[in-house]
Amino acid sequence: MKHRPFEDWLLDDQPLDPAQKRELDAHLRACEVCSAIAESNLALRSARVIAPVPGFTARWQERLVLARRAQRRRTLLGTLFFSLGGLILLAFLAGPILVSLIGSPAEWISAMVHAALFIYTAILAITEAGSVIFRVLPGFVPPFVWLVLLSALSGLGLLWSVSIWRLMRRPQGVTS
Amino acid sequence: MNEEQTWILQAKNGSDEAFTYIVETYQTPVYNLCYRMLGEPEAAEDAAQETFLRAYQHIHRYDLQRPFATWLLSIAAHYCIDRLRRRKLPIFSVDEDEESTYEIPDAKALHPEAETVHGEQQEQIHAMVQSLDSTDRAAIVMRYWYDFSEIEIADALNLTVSAVKSRLHRARKQLGKLLQETSTPAHVERSPYETPAF
Repeated sequence: MKHRPFEDWLLDDQPLDPAQKRELDAHLRACEVCSAIAESNLALRSARVIAPVPGFTARWQERLVLARRAQRRRTLLGTLFFSLGGLILLAFLAGPILVSLIGSPAEWISAMVHAALFIYTAILAITEAGSVIFRVLPGFVPPFVWLVLLSALSGLGLLWSVSIWRLMRRPQGVTS
Repeated sequence: MNEEQTWILQAKNGSDEAFTYIVETYQTPVYNLCYRMLGEPEAAEDAAQETFLRAYQHIHRYDLQRPFATWLLSIAAHYCIDRLRRRKLPIFSVDEDEESTYEIPDAKALHPEAETVHGEQQEQIHAMVQSLDSTDRAAIVMRYWYDFSEIEIADALNLTVSAVKSRLHRARKQLGKLLQETSTPAHVERSPYETPAF
């Protein structure tokens, strides 16, 4: 039997005009294949809506509590895992140094004192040298050189201020 | 903005009370979709609960311009499709133990259809739908139980409209064939073209 176009009308759920409906009805009376499709469409449209057992919301709230608890547990375990991992890595990397420090404390204390003394004497020496230069240098440099140096420094300062001001005027996060 | 949108907005802002209202309102459509997809009341209960949990966790991503029912049922459908695929290919899940700690209330009471079905037609329809491919099944359920348009189904299932049309076409053909094989005339319990689940 010829099923077209009736089968397509049914399978594509096409809207039909009264004449097409009459044609389809006549075809359905004679065709088992198309009649089964029409019947299954009708059966689906008439199928009941199933509701859950009463108390669904209360059960959902219980589940939410369980899910939150599980989430907290996962977060705690994750934090613990990463902290422990970090500590183990740190111990592995810093282990040899720690062992030597714990093994001979006198040695590293004297090394620390030496380093502190070295830094202190170096700062003193630099300060002394700086003060000598500041006292001696002005006599060697002619006044016009000072004038040129000061002008150059002022120009650079002005350029820097203008650049900063222009950058501040551009709205942040806007690309064009 | 209507009352429902107000609740949704409040839920987006973190109100548990507002989300509870959403669960109350949408429990039947979500449960029905899960039941039609998975075929078993216990699995449907679990899937519906999980759907609301996922919706709760991701409600900040919900776009207020989109129909809420489409968004929610889309979560349910995707969850059920994944679950059906996992049934075919059993995979060990780390979360399995956590999920099993949730107790499903009374397994016998979760067979609402078995209690109230008067004829075998409902079971026949149900069994026929179960024989479909999972995505085809989701499309059929959305079309016939929720009156979703092809565009809405495409939106919910992340498919193109032509893919939805082709899936519906194929599924209808398969259902017709199945019905012809069983040859029991379908019984009408709900008038055709009425808006079903909402």
